[in-house]
Amino acid sequence: MKAIGKYSLASILAWGLYVARVVIFSAFVGLSIAAVFTPLLPFIAPALDDLPGVSVSNHLDLSGGDYVEIMNHFVTFGVMLFIVNRLLEILRTLRLGSPFAGENAERFRQVGFALLLGEGAKVAFLILGGVFDADVDLNFEFITWIAMAAVLVLAEVFRQGAKMKEEQDLTV
Amino acid sequence: MSIGVKLDRVLLDRGMSLTELSERVGVTIANLSILKTGKAKAIRFSTLEAICKELKCQPGDVLTFVDDGAPNDHDG
Repeated sequence: MKAIGKYSLASILAWGLYVARVVIFSAFVGLSIAAVFTPLLPFIAPALDDLPGVSVSNHLDLSGGDYVEIMNHFVTFGVMLFIVNRLLEILRTLRLGSPFAGENAERFRQVGFALLLGEGAKVAFLILGGVFDADVDLNFEFITWIAMAAVLVLAEVFRQGAKMKEEQDLTV
Repeated sequence: MSIGVKLDRVLLDRGMSLTELSERVGVTIANLSILKTGKAKAIRFSTLEAICKELKCQPGDVLTFVDDGAPNDHDG
């Protein structure tokens, strides 16, 4: 299979990531709306009850745990969206045939730190979940930490690769 | 520490243009421009040999060492 160009592995991966981006973005927008409106629901519920055939207050049973759960999903999808965007930018440079650029090293480093942020957020939400009695489903997987290390190593490899590429370009 | 390039002066002395030198040594004008403007990070012996051969000069005529007090890049 070709490495770059049409029908290459990079372009197939890019298409997959474009689809993933649309799905994650939709979920992220939904969660953003939920994150903004859920704390406001107790205040706007009486106004909604005034509408004919609408009864919100009777079904409104929100606790602090619900907010924690929404924020947990909000951060998770935000991190996923950030990572997918960085990977798409890297794939774009790969398709153009110039992947060894300093920008890509920085993008890989950002992906590594985004994964670290995601894991750090899990700890924060675990603590908040205990405080607010939320049913937050958190799985700390060792493979995520391995992936984080792999991405940060890859960032360093790309940084060195970019330096070598620059040196090669400036050798006459 | 830096290495200066005096290619433009040697070309002027020989009455040769960069385009002509490019055709003679088989190096693109873009690469020769990088060398002439001092942006090059390295020069291959084969390129230097070809330039010296065509310009009938020594490497020292094209390159010069300028001690500006800055540390060497390879010193870590």
